[in-house]
Amino acid sequence: MTKLEVAIKAAVSSGNLLLNHYGAVKEVSGKESLRDVVSNVDKLSEIKAISIIEGSYPDCVILSEESGLNAPDSGEKWVIDALDGTVNYIHNFPFYCVSISYWIDDKPVIGVVYNPHSNELYYAEKGVGAFLNQVRLSVKNCKLENGLTAMAFSGKAYNPKMRTTEFKIFGRVNDLSQGCLRTGSAAMNLCYLADGRFSLVLGKANKAWDVGAGLLIAEEAGAIVDFKVIDKDKYLVSYVAGTYASKEAIEAELGTFF
Amino acid sequence: MKKKILIYGAGAIGRGYVPWIFPSDSYELTFVESDKFLREALQVQKKFTTYITRDGKYEKLVCSFQECFDLGEESPELYDGIITAVGPRQVYSLIETFSKVDCPIILFENDSRLPSKLKTLTGKDNIYFGIPDVITSNTAPVNMLKIDPLSIVTEDGVSFVEDGASLLGGNISYVSKEEMKKQWAAKLYIHNTPHCIAAYLGAMCGYQYLHEGMNRRLIYDIVEGAMKEMSQTVVKLFDLDQEFVDWYSAKELARFSNTLLCDPILRVAREPFRKLGLQDRLVGASQLSLSTGVIPEKLILGIMTAFMYDESSDDDFNIRILINSLDPKDFLKIIIGLKSHEALYKLIIKKWDNSIEILGEIKK
Repeated sequence: MTKLEVAIKAAVSSGNLLLNHYGAVKEVSGKESLRDVVSNVDKLSEIKAISIIEGSYPDCVILSEESGLNAPDSGEKWVIDALDGTVNYIHNFPFYCVSISYWIDDKPVIGVVYNPHSNELYYAEKGVGAFLNQVRLSVKNCKLENGLTAMAFSGKAYNPKMRTTEFKIFGRVNDLSQGCLRTGSAAMNLCYLADGRFSLVLGKANKAWDVGAGLLIAEEAGAIVDFKVIDKDKYLVSYVAGTYASKEAIEAELGTFF
Repeated sequence: MKKKILIYGAGAIGRGYVPWIFPSDSYELTFVESDKFLREALQVQKKFTTYITRDGKYEKLVCSFQECFDLGEESPELYDGIITAVGPRQVYSLIETFSKVDCPIILFENDSRLPSKLKTLTGKDNIYFGIPDVITSNTAPVNMLKIDPLSIVTEDGVSFVEDGASLLGGNISYVSKEEMKKQWAAKLYIHNTPHCIAAYLGAMCGYQYLHEGMNRRLIYDIVEGAMKEMSQTVVKLFDLDQEFVDWYSAKELARFSNTLLCDPILRVAREPFRKLGLQDRLVGASQLSLSTGVIPEKLILGIMTAFMYDESSDDDFNIRILINSLDPKDFLKIIIGLKSHEALYKLIIKKWDNSIEILGEIKK
């Protein structure tokens, strides 16, 4: 199987596991902040995804949310978030997904996001295009004032001073658009940009495993995507992605985002 | 004075068949074609050759036309009638054009729901469904292409169009909505369903033309079997008389095997996801079959062959990626949209391994 095929297989298998455990989370423990939590299901889902990837690519490098790096980073690696939107998941709010990407150097070249609750499978390969289930995605040029937007915040512990700035940006985007949502899943935000439900998506200091697949899916669907790895050791990524008109409008308003 | 007809799509039906139903002594034809290479070739030649197969022989028609425009260059309001043969997905790009004109618009597209959808989207009533009951290749044998590279071959078919468009005339049977319904049921399920199954089986075996696959007994039997299943279904569902259905089926099997037509498999098999739609000719047809108590054994083999369609140039090339990566149950649920409690879902899963085995034998 190709890397894309393996990523799809792993994402859907982990997604099915999440669906089977939905509403029955037994253990939850905190990580960096109140809303940075991990459940027993996160770990089960991650084990499932890793086992499938290693089954096809035994010597690969994998960076996953719960286990970190399995080997020294050689520049090419799988990046896995086996449950993006854990807080939503443990509160039975069906907006969560599995996000798997494959990176070469500091860029994702394969991305798969699967929301098992809605049967939505997003996937993309660099230069080939982005798809939702069987349909090729193509972003239309929605204006900021006509679109819905979303923002994903940094972890509380990362830089407390940055919080005020983030809330200001959030408020401004909210006023300039038909609303800015904080959905709890950065990966799904980017996929919703790719399929036209959102016209602009922003994120400050998000984890690479949350957004790697989504950034590629949005870009391959035709969104204008700017992202920067702002902290390589902590795998933090900031980004702004949108339709051409929305991104231009927000940059005119806020200046550079990074 | 000749009537002016604007034809969207200079492909198989548009170029190959439409000139036979709107003859040059009474009609002037103008084309709109988005494919740059085809359009430029037509603009240079100003004419092309279309052959019709009658009684095992070819008859030739050299069609001179007025113009071949790129999409957007035409002035649709100047014409007495508009024909589209661009494909059901592409026809939506003509909504703005349709909203500007009052002449009859005939959709020679493989989707009977299109006219009502387009009427709603354009606010116009002058949009009619047409069934070109014919197989037209989008190419021709090499010796013909040597004489005219734009040569094309069609069968000697019949066209049915809703009677509201009858002012346009031509060699067309203008019929009531009821008759259209009957003809469409036959076309969709006794023609389209087995036609694409023949194409997917042929593609799986590496053939180029439909008739090559139909020469293989194993393929012929599956296609004939699928046709029988659909014939039984339409007789029960649409109150078609058995004699008509039997005649239609025999005619179709002969058409699929027509060696003069050189019908390319790539053309018939294209966009498998559309054909696998819940309301369309494979999955939709099998659901109908089950609803009448007919077990779709051969239809399921056809569905499985479509799942395995592996053509990198096709818009739906990603079907290969998905079938390679997903478990059958996930593929049916996520991609095809079948629910696990549905009879067809259960039947396909039950027959999955056996179908793979049968298809493997055919492929050998």
